[in-house]
Amino acid sequence: MNQALRLAYRNLVGAGLRTWLNVGVLSFTFVLILFYNGLIDGWNKQAKRDSIAWEIGQGQIIHKDYDPLDPFTILDGHGNINTIKGNVSPVLVQQSTIYPEGRSISTLLKGVSTNQSITQLPTGLLLNTDANIPALIGKNMSNKSGLKEGDEVLIRWRDSEGTFDATNITIVGIFESTVPTIDAGQIYIPIEKLWELTGLENHASYFIVGEGYEHKEIQDWEFNSQSSLLETLDAMIETKKASGTIMYLLLMAIALLAIFDTQVLSIFRRQKEIGTYIALGMTRGEVIRLFTVEGFMYSVLAVILGSIYGIPLLWFLAKNGIPYPVEQVQDFGVPISDTMYPVFSLGLIAGTLLLVVVSATIVSYLPARKISKMNPVDAIKGKLQ
Amino acid sequence: MNTEKIITLENVVKRFKVGDGEFTALKDINLNFDKGEFAGLVGPSGSGKTTLLNIIGSLDSPTEGTATVMGKSISELSHKESALLRNHHIGFIFQVYNLLPVYTVYENVEFALLLQNHSAEERKKAVMDALDWVGIADMANKKPAKLSGGEGQRVAIARAMVKKPQILLADEPTANLDAENAHAILQTMKSLNKELDTTFLFSTHDEKVMKYMDRIIHLRDGSVEKDEIINSKSSSK
Repeated sequence: MNQALRLAYRNLVGAGLRTWLNVGVLSFTFVLILFYNGLIDGWNKQAKRDSIAWEIGQGQIIHKDYDPLDPFTILDGHGNINTIKGNVSPVLVQQSTIYPEGRSISTLLKGVSTNQSITQLPTGLLLNTDANIPALIGKNMSNKSGLKEGDEVLIRWRDSEGTFDATNITIVGIFESTVPTIDAGQIYIPIEKLWELTGLENHASYFIVGEGYEHKEIQDWEFNSQSSLLETLDAMIETKKASGTIMYLLLMAIALLAIFDTQVLSIFRRQKEIGTYIALGMTRGEVIRLFTVEGFMYSVLAVILGSIYGIPLLWFLAKNGIPYPVEQVQDFGVPISDTMYPVFSLGLIAGTLLLVVVSATIVSYLPARKISKMNPVDAIKGKLQ
Repeated sequence: MNTEKIITLENVVKRFKVGDGEFTALKDINLNFDKGEFAGLVGPSGSGKTTLLNIIGSLDSPTEGTATVMGKSISELSHKESALLRNHHIGFIFQVYNLLPVYTVYENVEFALLLQNHSAEERKKAVMDALDWVGIADMANKKPAKLSGGEGQRVAIARAMVKKPQILLADEPTANLDAENAHAILQTMKSLNKELDTTFLFSTHDEKVMKYMDRIIHLRDGSVEKDEIINSKSSSK
């Protein structure tokens, strides 16, 4: 193997521009795969971090009749909060409609604890205000409804008896969050006010769990761990990753095709050379190994070249982030920050490295197998077979 | 005088498929070569010279008959055993030199020793010695593309001789050389033959080459037409 490595290195260096073109394309692919996966991983981490900080906390205790994904469960999906003690923050969810500037917008009206600190939702803004019913909305909701801080808007809801009622609420704060699921179509008011409006005294649809909470079985309530709540997010990001994979597989295919093409051409163009190797005493296996090692070395050189320009580039991007047009991708439904910070884990780097090296070696081995069928006499003469 | 038989050909026949039919390149060849011979296979194109060299060099095998080289029957050798035989005992010189284009002169000559896993020190000494034999030590770092025809063929000789093989097979080694270079190359080969007692076997149809031979085997249409002993060191079949 030592001998094959030495000869392959000489052949590649001796081949000059042809080698460096292949190595250049392959190194670009290597860096691009790393960048893309790093970006997705960074997004994944940021999305999880923000979801935990703004929405999920350490988990949620959800009333057995309430399904966050099913609006028909909102009406009856709540229960008494006195059964649950510890570092938790109750949230009561009700359906409502607001009428900004004569338009009607269906909203989720959420009653939240004003002194909670489990999530980053700035519920403190709901305190210390003269407004009769102070309300918080997100920036996205503000953009869609046209509501601004200080605006009053008519809201209509149904109480516990099913009777419609309406009043004005005052927007006392607009928060900015990367988590669209806590923003779009949602209004936050003090839970005590919502209890008053609906007659659902001491009721909540779910609780957000904080640090140190230890769950015990509670009738009518189900504990959802942080990891189980993040499963949907994971699945969504995996889907995005899979669709992106097609792009880098195409790039990879182009780079590998270049190597394959070079190696196939080599078998024909270097026939005399192969015949000479055999005449000088190389076994066919050794010639195949030499060509395969050449392919392997393409990838090694590509990794080295890719590291030379890739490490500073990727390090810069990981440190400074990449501006992202959040407005254009809000509909993804996944938390996206306006600056994405790629994350390059050791596993990602090792996995990509392995992918590039193994693929390049395989595509070199395939044409090299042809050598074993080559007649050395014809090869020396350079006769095409 | 050494009379050790190094190559024995008995009733060797070689046929090639051509389309639906067959072409017989060698017909019932019976020849022996002793160690240290300086012999030439002479004949027009298509007479079977190269085919015979290829069989002796274990690059090809006879269709019928037995070719024994260094005590080994060529037909019975596996690919690996053939490679081993060539690696340790047989040197090749080709008409168009077949130098490896991406290697320097030094690396081309060193190649044969790399296959034998010699140490770097041993390789360096042997390569420089071989380049000295053929008088091109000062060109060690040149690439083949920068060499003249004569220089290229000297590199090919150095590459073939560096491992000190028992047999050296040269296929039309002077065909691409002018008279002056051909003379110099043959003188070099002749002196190596004397110095190292290597068996030299040429294929040629160059009249100028023949005067250097101790033995000339005339081939025509795949058969031995005449086996001439010029110098008593060579033996006949």
